[in-house]
Amino acid sequence: MTLARAKPVLLPAAALLAFELWARLSHLQSDSLAPPSAIVVALGAAIGDLSILAATRDTLFAAFVGLAAGGGIGLMLGVAFGISRPLDRLMEVTIEAIRPIPSIALLPIALISLGFGYRMEIVIVAFACVWPMLILTRAAVRSIEPRLMEVSRALRLSPAQRIAKIVIPAALPRIFVAFRLSAGIALIVAVTVEIAINPLGLGAGIMLAQQALRADLMLAYLVWIGVIGYALNILLIAAQRRLFGRAALAGDNT
Amino acid sequence: MSVVARLDEAKAARRGTPLIAFNGTTLRLGGKTIIEQLDLEVRPGEFVCIVGASGCGKTTALRLAAGLYRPSEGAVTFNGEPMTEPRREVAVVFQDYGKALLPWRTAAGNISLALEASRVPSRERNGRIDALLRKVGLPGHADKYPTEMSGGMQQRLQIARCLAQEPTTLLMDEPFGALDAMTRQGLQDEVLSLTQASRTTVIFVTHDLDEAIYLGDRVIGLLPHPGRIGIEIDVNLPRPRDQLATREHPEFLRLRRQLFDFIKATEH
Amino acid sequence: MNRAAILWRVASILVAAGFIAAWQLVANLKLVSPVFLPGPDRAWTALVRGFSSGDLASKLIGTLEHMAYGWLAASIAGIALGALIGSSKLMRAYVAPSLEFLRPLPVSAIIPVAIAMLGLTQGMALFVIAFGAIWPIMLATIHGFAAVEPRLYEVARALQMSRMAVIAKIALPSALPDILAGMRLSLTVALILSVVCEILAGLDGLGHWVLLSARAFRSADLFAGVILLGATGYLTSVAMSVVEQRLLAWQAAAR
Repeated sequence: MTLARAKPVLLPAAALLAFELWARLSHLQSDSLAPPSAIVVALGAAIGDLSILAATRDTLFAAFVGLAAGGGIGLMLGVAFGISRPLDRLMEVTIEAIRPIPSIALLPIALISLGFGYRMEIVIVAFACVWPMLILTRAAVRSIEPRLMEVSRALRLSPAQRIAKIVIPAALPRIFVAFRLSAGIALIVAVTVEIAINPLGLGAGIMLAQQALRADLMLAYLVWIGVIGYALNILLIAAQRRLFGRAALAGDNT
Repeated sequence: MSVVARLDEAKAARRGTPLIAFNGTTLRLGGKTIIEQLDLEVRPGEFVCIVGASGCGKTTALRLAAGLYRPSEGAVTFNGEPMTEPRREVAVVFQDYGKALLPWRTAAGNISLALEASRVPSRERNGRIDALLRKVGLPGHADKYPTEMSGGMQQRLQIARCLAQEPTTLLMDEPFGALDAMTRQGLQDEVLSLTQASRTTVIFVTHDLDEAIYLGDRVIGLLPHPGRIGIEIDVNLPRPRDQLATREHPEFLRLRRQLFDFIKATEH
Repeated sequence: MNRAAILWRVASILVAAGFIAAWQLVANLKLVSPVFLPGPDRAWTALVRGFSSGDLASKLIGTLEHMAYGWLAASIAGIALGALIGSSKLMRAYVAPSLEFLRPLPVSAIIPVAIAMLGLTQGMALFVIAFGAIWPIMLATIHGFAAVEPRLYEVARALQMSRMAVIAKIALPSALPDILAGMRLSLTVALILSVVCEILAGLDGLGHWVLLSARAFRSADLFAGVILLGATGYLTSVAMSVVEQRLLAWQAAAR
């Protein structure tokens, strides 16, 4: 049974070990590669002087504010489109025209109207987060058991009550899945904007390390960004299990 | 052909060498003994039904005969040779037709799979496919996808694909278990007419005692935990069988009672 | 399409036209500075002018090339690797967890590493796009191959099909819906990474065009570029849908 538990880590461990040995034996001197031990040292130093933690805070701040804004808009539109078929059909062409615009293409527009900084990053993250939230919420609302909607009509609930007491609670497990996916997208977009142009956060940190030819620090940032992405994902999956039970994960293979 | 002549022929076949033979066959899977010391001989042209309570290893026995499992001890032979891998002259009709058909191929495409595997030249395939579809009562359904067909039609299609292998032996694993009574009776008669005419050897697994007696020349009852033979009865009912006359035959009722008592006893 | 559906479509187009009219109004009334927001008229003029001078067309082709090469390379490698890993239990046990760990990694973080190794070159862009686009395809292919109905493998054994025939006739068609879904996701990833690489490395393409337009405050050109990027995203996705409908006609039959 210990082998079964070791299987998943065997491959990466072997790869790291081989890389470390190769780097040492060949006295690696490179702008793009560094042995794992050097990466660990660089990461330790960056955590020690708090620089990587400050960058993490900046990135997560922009990602979460963008997620809240874009996710909120997406949620509202998703509920509205999910409840009202006519509204959904009327907006179809407009939505289908805007949605395919890659979020990053808005970067120059955000740049000239808002300048560098949090605001432009937040706007782009928000734009990216609207779509998964809108589409998955709409699908979730539409798949609510019709009997429940009939109950709400029989009880003569007002439209606001109907949304608050029936629609949102019934669709909540799937809305949370949408939220989880959007959170992943928010982090990706935030880092991408920082790498492309915005001088803050983890993305700017890794670009600076590259420009300073600090391969160890650059790869330390890469590992750290991976850890943050993985931790966020794990955290949200755990929250989803806690809140909605395992059943909520069934059929969620994204 | 007279009834007497058929019976004589069946007796003659029994004296010949077995086509499929289990010799002290034991199968263990994951530390559990599923089949223990099974001895069974099936002669060419014979129709043998295997019955038993659920979990008695009747499906496992069939998979051993198909070469889908290898015995842990003893042997399973086909024409005297060990059956360690599936062979093309042995076709398997699975119970779950929904899973055993390719959903992305039409009825014709599914039959074609067997022809492709036997390297039948493509110009010959269409004619053979049409003939097979007619044979199993599905003419005009060539372009339908399995999901567009009823359960009975899907099982007919699977049988057609098996017949495309031109098998000498047909192994059927509760093929009609999921079908309604009327469809089931129709298919029973079709399987009989398809196999009796070509003298195809059949091993037929079922949990339906009536079905076993109605179809078989012989019925084997398995005991569970681990699977082994508990009863073996010869069915001397006249052929061709008839859904009404055969089922009302006193011999049918006697065998039915005998099997029923056996199964009842194994459940305790 | 029945009559009701056509009428809804027309109404929906009218609503979209209404939004464009509102945009024009906002621009005309200069509610937002024209430096940031050109009207649809100016954006359209810039689009036509860009195409007639040939500049925009060459940028568009540049982006399409980056996207297509990277995506195709990712598709071939992703399907091959995914098939290899997905069809072997052993490989899945050892490799899949590492892949799951890498899955949430923001792929753009690989850009600095690629720049350090390959410089600000086309090769760097190609590597980054392919690296980013391979994940959805490979993970979907692994899932598709792992989820092949075991009964079908038994049918293949009973028919004594060769290993190649099993892959070509059973595993690949069975995994195809997953593979195509992965390829569709990757298409979006490829477009985004093409734009990012063009912005960073100054490579010929729409990403570079929109950035230069923004730097020079030529907002009409900028919007023309963004509209083209949207159209690229839309049309590639439509093309993918057509391919999916063609190849997966059997799934429609099930409904």
